[in-house]
Amino acid sequence: MTEEYIMMQDIIQEHKERIENIKRYYPYFKLADNSLLQWKEGKYASLDMGYITLAVLRFFIDENNMKDKDVRFEEYQEFLHTILVRDFELFLDEGEENQLTTYIFDKLLNEGKPFSFDYFDPMDKQKKTIRIKLIESKIESNVLYYSITSDAIEFYLDTKEIKEESSISVEQLLLSKLIDTQNFRGGIEVVKRINREVNKLKLRRNEVLTMLSVNVFEGKKAYEAFVNDITRWFDEEQRLFKKNTELIEKALEKAELDGKGNENSRFYSMVNEIYTLELEIKKAMYKHSELLSLCTSLQLQVDEIVTKSKLSTLRNSFDFRHAMNQMIENDNMEALEQMILPLFQLKTNKWFLLSDMENLLSLRAENEEESEAVSRGEEMTYVYEDEVEEQRIQDNFDVIVKVLFEKLEKERRFSLSELNEELTKKFGDRVLLNGDYYTFLIHMCQKDFYSIREIRQKPDTFFEEIIHNMLAQTEEYNKLQFSLLRKGEETVKIKDMLEISDIQFEKVEQ
Amino acid sequence: MEERNLDKAIDILTKLINGEEVGKNSGANVSLYEEYSTNAEVYDIVNRMLNRMNIKLYEYKNGLYITGGENNQVFGFSNADLRKELGLKVNRELYLCYFIMYQVITCFYTDSSGFNFTEYVKIEDIMEVVDNSLKHIIDNLEILTNNEVEENSFKTLAILWSDLPAATEETIRAAKNSKAGYIKLVLNFLISQQLMAQSEERYYLKDRAKALIENYFEESKGRLYEIIQGKEQEDATY
Repeated sequence: MTEEYIMMQDIIQEHKERIENIKRYYPYFKLADNSLLQWKEGKYASLDMGYITLAVLRFFIDENNMKDKDVRFEEYQEFLHTILVRDFELFLDEGEENQLTTYIFDKLLNEGKPFSFDYFDPMDKQKKTIRIKLIESKIESNVLYYSITSDAIEFYLDTKEIKEESSISVEQLLLSKLIDTQNFRGGIEVVKRINREVNKLKLRRNEVLTMLSVNVFEGKKAYEAFVNDITRWFDEEQRLFKKNTELIEKALEKAELDGKGNENSRFYSMVNEIYTLELEIKKAMYKHSELLSLCTSLQLQVDEIVTKSKLSTLRNSFDFRHAMNQMIENDNMEALEQMILPLFQLKTNKWFLLSDMENLLSLRAENEEESEAVSRGEEMTYVYEDEVEEQRIQDNFDVIVKVLFEKLEKERRFSLSELNEELTKKFGDRVLLNGDYYTFLIHMCQKDFYSIREIRQKPDTFFEEIIHNMLAQTEEYNKLQFSLLRKGEETVKIKDMLEISDIQFEKVEQ
Repeated sequence: MEERNLDKAIDILTKLINGEEVGKNSGANVSLYEEYSTNAEVYDIVNRMLNRMNIKLYEYKNGLYITGGENNQVFGFSNADLRKELGLKVNRELYLCYFIMYQVITCFYTDSSGFNFTEYVKIEDIMEVVDNSLKHIIDNLEILTNNEVEENSFKTLAILWSDLPAATEETIRAAKNSKAGYIKLVLNFLISQQLMAQSEERYYLKDRAKALIENYFEESKGRLYEIIQGKEQEDATY
């Protein structure tokens, strides 16, 4: 019982969190799947969009996070050119390549829209939509720049290392392992990744500050989340930095001891790698403590902004930011209209376009809206709902009776299951689920013997009435007589759902 | 009432309604401004007539500026009028334009009590302000309930805004296909309304805008706060 409870908890409560983790992968698969198949009749279908996506993301991480600069479209094009030539051996003329790189970029940006997909949240019992972007754009001094989003960075890091609550700590643990196994080159890569992580946190800290300057309440919430996510890991991260520095020192000592009297090129390259690693980790420690001091100053800035905001609400004038925040908080979009409309000039011009005047004069038919012609007439008949029902029953009975008569003429004797087979063959197996089919059976079983000639003269039952109507326009089946023999003990199964007594039909000669 | 004063008052009204400037630095209309500011009867007639027409008049730095006031059926713009003026199809596009206009104001004013000495703004400044203002809504949109999005909601604006690319080409044109295009559309309209002036890529606030912002928001702040809280609509049902 307890185990089942825990399982359900896992399924329901953690679903949202799991989707949050999965969402990073969505754009990759969306892009990798079919992106180039449809374009130019699949001319470039051999290009692997998945590989290109990862390559471009890595390029953006390098430019944005390592070199601290945003990317221009031309720079991206230049990078993709090298990929196309080196990895796909695709040599295109300038115009064609320009088209291809632009098309791929449009796909990576999802035409400027976020990638989105729907999922069901079992907690709220609602369908929700996840939205994620890989690359963002912005304008600076009239130039369009692109940068990678933090989601895309996380996705990229996720593809290679396990994601934990503190990426820095995970990377550091990995670093310790690499130092232990004397893989110093791999260690340098890990430290570079740590630097990237620190840079990402710095960006997030700046985002919090920007949000605070616009909306104090939302900014305060973002700040609290930031503190909760980031700063509580500082101690652990600092400890691991210290531990790794010690490990590097030990590794250096050991290398020097082992290599005494045996100073070959391998020894020198290893020592060189250890020194580079030491340098990189010192840089990382410096950046990390810089982040720590930035977070401390953030605390002071938050206090200052909150106090200032409290004071401004007491001021006796219309506070634009405060009013905007209130509008957003109350989700009162219509209030915007009242803020803006009274600022405009008087509306003195009249809306009467010259083109409309021309249309009026020439009465051009194609520009006119076609109206529905309503004719005045007298109501002659009215079909009631039960009449519609009756007609339906008549039509359905006609069809079944016709099959029955044809079979009687052909075979002389057969059972209900054989009739059913015939019906299924002609109209599909859904015919046996039709309600009218059962009404037909019930009405038919009211008598054991039927003679068409007698029915034509005087229809006795509802069933005979139907046959009478059906044969009103024709002389067919005049000589037909048949009897029904109900076999109570034998039954016919219909689609494993229903079971009815079998009936033997037999044509009776006159 | 002197007939001469009535004539002068009508002259002032005609000029103002025709969109001409009446002020100390307004060239041909300087004498009319002098009449308005020195002749009590002219002042009285102008104000009474404007009041009857539900037109607001504001004086700012020796100049007169009028606006249609609130809910002016004759001289005010309706949403449909503005959609036509701006070339928009649906209300959410119009409200995004209102939102951008409001953000333009916040670039120059923190509160209605005074100008914050920003000389001019550029399209990218406005884009940044709009981005930041909608940021926390956009962030929360990442998990968004489908049936939660209503037509008249800031979420609709946020979706519309976040789905737009920053710009589609190097030269920014007034169009609905990018953020910069929307801003340009709004700025062009504000220029046509004599609220802003443009010099190359820089956009300046004109005295007319300053007059209206400082006076309108200052004198209507109580009513506006009620509208923001949604109280006015509630009261209207009683």
